[in-house]
Amino acid sequence: MPPFPMLRRRFLCTQTSNLSLFNQKPVGRQWPIKQVTKSNFSDSLHELKNKISDSDFVAVSLQNTGSYSSPWHRLLPFDTAEIAYLKAKYAAERFQILQFSVCPFSVRASNKLTAYPFNFHLFPRDEHKIGMPCYSFSCQPSYLTSMAQEDFDFNVCIYDGISYLSRAQESAAKGQMENPVSSGYVAQSPSSRSVADNVFVERIKSRVGHWISACKHSDTRTNDVLVNSLRKLILGGEDYGLRPSLNIDVCSERQVQLVFEMVKSGYENVVPLIIPAKGGGAQAVRVVLTSSKEDRDLLEKELQNMEEEQSKRVRGFREVIDLISTSRKPVVAHKSLNDFTFIHSKFLAPLPSTMDEFRSSLHSVFPNILDVNHLMKEIGPLNKYTNVPAAISYLKRNFFAPIEIEIPQKASVEESKNHGHNVVRISELFAKLCFILKIAPETETHNPDGPSTLKCYSNVLNLGSNSFQDSNEDDDISAWTHNPTKISINNLLFLWGFRSGTSARRLKNLLCKSHEKLSEDVFDVRLVDKNCAVVVFWKTGLSEWFLTTIDSGDGELRELAAEGLMAVGYEAYKRVCKSEILGADLADSLAEFDREASEAHTEESAEVYWNNELMINLDDL
Amino acid sequence: MGGKRWVKEAGGIWEGSDGASQSRGHEEVSETVKEDIGMKQHWMVRAISKTLTLIPIPFHSSRASFSSPSSSFALKNVTRSNFELSLADLRRHVRDSDFVSIDLEMTGVTSAPWRESFEFDRFDVRYLKVKDSAEKFAVVQFGVCPFRWDSTKQSFIAHPHNFYIFPRQEVGAYDPSYEFLCQTASIDFLAKYQFDFNLCVKEGISYLSRALEDAARLHLHSTHEDELSESPCTTKEIKDVPLVRMADILFVERMRNKISEWHDDLLQIRNRRSSQIPEDSNDSMNQFQTIFFRMRPAIKLNGFTSRQLRLIKSVIQKSFKDLAYIRVNGASCLEQFIVYTNSRRDLELLMKEVKGDLCKEAEMKIGAAIGFRHVIDLLSSEQKLIVGHNCFLDIAHVCRKFVGPLPSNLEEYVTLVQKNFPYIIDTKILLNASNVLQLKMKKSSTSLSKAFAILCPHIASGVSSSGLAPSSVTVEVQVDDMRSSNWNSGAKHEAGYDAFMTGCIFAQSCSHLNIDFSSHSMLMKEEKLQKYINLLYLSWSCGDIVNIKTGGTTTESSAFNTFKIQPTKILFPNIAIIWGFPSKLKAREIKESLCKVFGLTSVTSIYHLDRTAVFVQFNKSELVSDFLELKSRLEKKNDAISVFHPLSELLEGGNTRAASYEVYKEICGSPISKVLFADQAEAVGINLNTKLLENKVQENGSFANSQSPIDTKTADIKQPLKCTSGSSKFPKGEMLDIVSC
Repeated sequence: MPPFPMLRRRFLCTQTSNLSLFNQKPVGRQWPIKQVTKSNFSDSLHELKNKISDSDFVAVSLQNTGSYSSPWHRLLPFDTAEIAYLKAKYAAERFQILQFSVCPFSVRASNKLTAYPFNFHLFPRDEHKIGMPCYSFSCQPSYLTSMAQEDFDFNVCIYDGISYLSRAQESAAKGQMENPVSSGYVAQSPSSRSVADNVFVERIKSRVGHWISACKHSDTRTNDVLVNSLRKLILGGEDYGLRPSLNIDVCSERQVQLVFEMVKSGYENVVPLIIPAKGGGAQAVRVVLTSSKEDRDLLEKELQNMEEEQSKRVRGFREVIDLISTSRKPVVAHKSLNDFTFIHSKFLAPLPSTMDEFRSSLHSVFPNILDVNHLMKEIGPLNKYTNVPAAISYLKRNFFAPIEIEIPQKASVEESKNHGHNVVRISELFAKLCFILKIAPETETHNPDGPSTLKCYSNVLNLGSNSFQDSNEDDDISAWTHNPTKISINNLLFLWGFRSGTSARRLKNLLCKSHEKLSEDVFDVRLVDKNCAVVVFWKTGLSEWFLTTIDSGDGELRELAAEGLMAVGYEAYKRVCKSEILGADLADSLAEFDREASEAHTEESAEVYWNNELMINLDDL
Repeated sequence: MGGKRWVKEAGGIWEGSDGASQSRGHEEVSETVKEDIGMKQHWMVRAISKTLTLIPIPFHSSRASFSSPSSSFALKNVTRSNFELSLADLRRHVRDSDFVSIDLEMTGVTSAPWRESFEFDRFDVRYLKVKDSAEKFAVVQFGVCPFRWDSTKQSFIAHPHNFYIFPRQEVGAYDPSYEFLCQTASIDFLAKYQFDFNLCVKEGISYLSRALEDAARLHLHSTHEDELSESPCTTKEIKDVPLVRMADILFVERMRNKISEWHDDLLQIRNRRSSQIPEDSNDSMNQFQTIFFRMRPAIKLNGFTSRQLRLIKSVIQKSFKDLAYIRVNGASCLEQFIVYTNSRRDLELLMKEVKGDLCKEAEMKIGAAIGFRHVIDLLSSEQKLIVGHNCFLDIAHVCRKFVGPLPSNLEEYVTLVQKNFPYIIDTKILLNASNVLQLKMKKSSTSLSKAFAILCPHIASGVSSSGLAPSSVTVEVQVDDMRSSNWNSGAKHEAGYDAFMTGCIFAQSCSHLNIDFSSHSMLMKEEKLQKYINLLYLSWSCGDIVNIKTGGTTTESSAFNTFKIQPTKILFPNIAIIWGFPSKLKAREIKESLCKVFGLTSVTSIYHLDRTAVFVQFNKSELVSDFLELKSRLEKKNDAISVFHPLSELLEGGNTRAASYEVYKEICGSPISKVLFADQAEAVGINLNTKLLENKVQENGSFANSQSPIDTKTADIKQPLKCTSGSSKFPKGEMLDIVSC
């Protein structure tokens, strides 16, 4: 905040008039947002491509079927970066994206925002009957209900949503699609042939040769249907489009290779194609006869186009991701860790198991990600403003940052309803923040070295912020949320086995009474959920003492142990987060992993900030 | 039931190692396709009937010349808005009914391809698969159709109801069990039949299972008691809101003055009955609205921020002994009051009253949240005959959603069902088991729509009763005030209509079995039905049947003398399951390499679960352990000789795992659902290894000494828990150990 005090809104400031000047549209305004479904996808794709290349930034925003399965699956203040990633990964693998809004935008003259918002409706329909992109997905009813209250149209998504395949799925699916493939066979070095190979090649050669000569001799165009079909029957050939073709059955990859070699070396005007088998591999090779070299080139081009068309259909919505990726434009997002774990898992490849791998994998596709939350951090402690509208209204109240939004495209407001407005808000928020932070996005992007001032903000995946679940109004553990006390994760303990619904304060009293070492000021307790609490010790060493004493059962903390209280260190929590199923109840999951964790020795000097400002910097690789 | 049927039918490809079941699968697939094509005209009808609910539309069919036109008004669609009213009607109809048919539409059936029903599934494994399905997927539509025999009209009166339900959580702390899975193919299937997802999410009726209701009440009472025991006045640790801001301090002072002013006024009025009118105080008091709260003078606090309210609360607690700060749930939001009390006792009394109110309110809320479960409670308490079509999964859903968590084994589950629904009849069993009906069905497919078309052509096509065969049962449909004797909404794969079809099939079947509806005995006591009652298909394609009354399980061929080909007996102890082998290997190659080692006749059959796993049935049960031992020996040696071993092809890549049938059961019982079986086994395997470790720990006394794989592995790695995956790093043969111990 200090660098920008003069922009701080004052009481005497006349910005009310300014505001009304720049925001002609009322609150809850409706922007013309292009809604994209199956039917208008290919047209919109072309349009989007142009808009992206004309714009400086691309904002993205997702609408998912849920965000967490259990309260403790949300990001908690004591989560390390790695755990934050694991939790985001867990959610991204379970839930589904229903809407993906993309908004290419530019900021000119420091406050004129030109935006082209598109809202894509998605549904992971198995268009090609290959069991992809996803067999099933989870839904969080409370999430769907609140979406319904905002008039979300589920029918549009499910009936007309665009399907997709991720990059990894596309390559896996290649073999399963039953379409002739021409490419793929790179002429391998003429390998030594066995006798059997030679016999096979000779046989095929004579058959193909015979067929070709028959085709050529019958050029006398007989229109007799019977004669034509008889000929087909005898020669075993059929027409491929307008050209004659012949199918050659093969029973191994080796034979496919031999046929290809034979055709390529022996016949100039014959094009071989692979007919894939259902379970992958080749079923047959189809050779197509062309009339001349030009005709052959034409056919090859046709085939290439066909393949292109086919793979376009297979990729579906992922084309948009590829567009954004190849444009190399900075991508602006809010809650980027969540969004990009979803994007990675649905459109790129399964999420890797560690944060580092994820970071580098994502970096290769989206080299420049800007998180508005991170920019927000620059101007103040904004833990509370977790959603975009709240952040915008906060800025409005406290800063003078007039932004004029212009959306040149036409789309009926009726059609746009409430769908995809968030992405425009993200663009707006970004423009406002740039204005306040005195970053000129315009000059930034024309800088040959890429945006330099923004550089320092890029690729910091904001872990968002999450307040504790039990924000009862009389819980005033301000030290926990407002004081960023850096504490080692070794000083954290997880405690369970108390009666469900016990308050944090009562738990603290209980601990205080149990031993003189546990005086009021050396530790603090917060509930994670109704059956599990986290204890932080302000002095090092105490947590180890507590753990060993309570585990021994007959030690000084006998009474606590007798009441059924159990405790584990941070390692057990880490293990739980790494597991396949996080479990609904943290206490149950911890109990299960308890034993394994007992030998954990933390060489890792991981530290967490005891507050909400968790960041992962993508650049410090 | 639509989603369910879709997968079952598409699943036909998996079902076949014997020709019979395979062809069955295909038959059903082609039928779905046919249905799809046929549906186009139905959409139209349905679209109309949806928009013009309750208005009867005469349907001018070409047959009108010789039959009265069939009417096609919509069936009774029930959502949140009309639930209360419809429930009252339904109660009456169910009470009067002879039987009630039901049908469910879910968001999916199997959470992974390998969770589909296999021939190699034992009864307990089948149950685990159904349990998994009922636990993971949501019910979105529930069709209930009571049928009553009207002896004067010699016809059944049916009341088809179509309930939209949605697992919206209305009470209690966030419960993750409400989260549900959607199977993409099933959702797509529902969409194909124009299922209205918006209506379902927005207007679907919510529900509360009995178990969750009990938990909610328990929680409510315990907190209520807590609050009472904490007695309201023992200064509940008045934590001061720290007055840091100048504004706060000013505000607090101002409030203190205002309140004391009001307080004094109040006392003066009381004491002197003075004519001073409170309203004459300045206008800033309009946030202080004087009213009476439970016969006591009070101020209603309007328009304060939560921080200000907290400050006011602390002021009152500190400075005014005879005022109480109270929060109650108002009509739309929380309302705050400052209430004057005469004495300490009066204060306690007030607090008690308020708490009692809160408690009652919460009780009401829980009651209201029961929602759709009222229908289930009704069916259960009326002890009516429940009719479903291939309804084992439906019943499992009913139990899971409205009663409570499903037990871990089939025997306990059966008792649970029996307790709630003592009389269930499955029309699919009936059609397949009765020879009379088999003849009527002309050995055709017993899928719901097919059976309906064959057994009840007069209802399916909407021909009036005049030109009917004498054996045809007439069914009159009543929706609200509309009645029709030849009704057909045509909305196939809508739960309400499917329930109606099921009921019609049952009524017609009874008539074919010469059951007299007019006799006054109840249908479930009918002798001719005793052979079929309470029998459900655990898996219809394999003909596995469970008796809900006794818990006994049989296969269809032994239970009835049917036309089905008896499948060869499967000996589960002879089965090993292998997964993670090189993907290029097919069943034939695996069989060959195994036969090379154990003899030509050693392998009876090989069956693919999916492309990553196979069941191998040996001809002797010892061969399973022999194989597992040999496998682990080969893997441990890893020398030149083992490369030439016939099994090396199978073990290539080092990821090949094998285990006995019991491990398969354990994997099926896991809540995890990975798409590929090999991934699933690995995910579950981590836990299996954990168990193994636990055993070792107990043996060795402590972890430090144990030679557990985790220990040795973690020592190598700087960050001990960074291991990418659990079991893949462990020495091979781990699974074998589990099997043997």
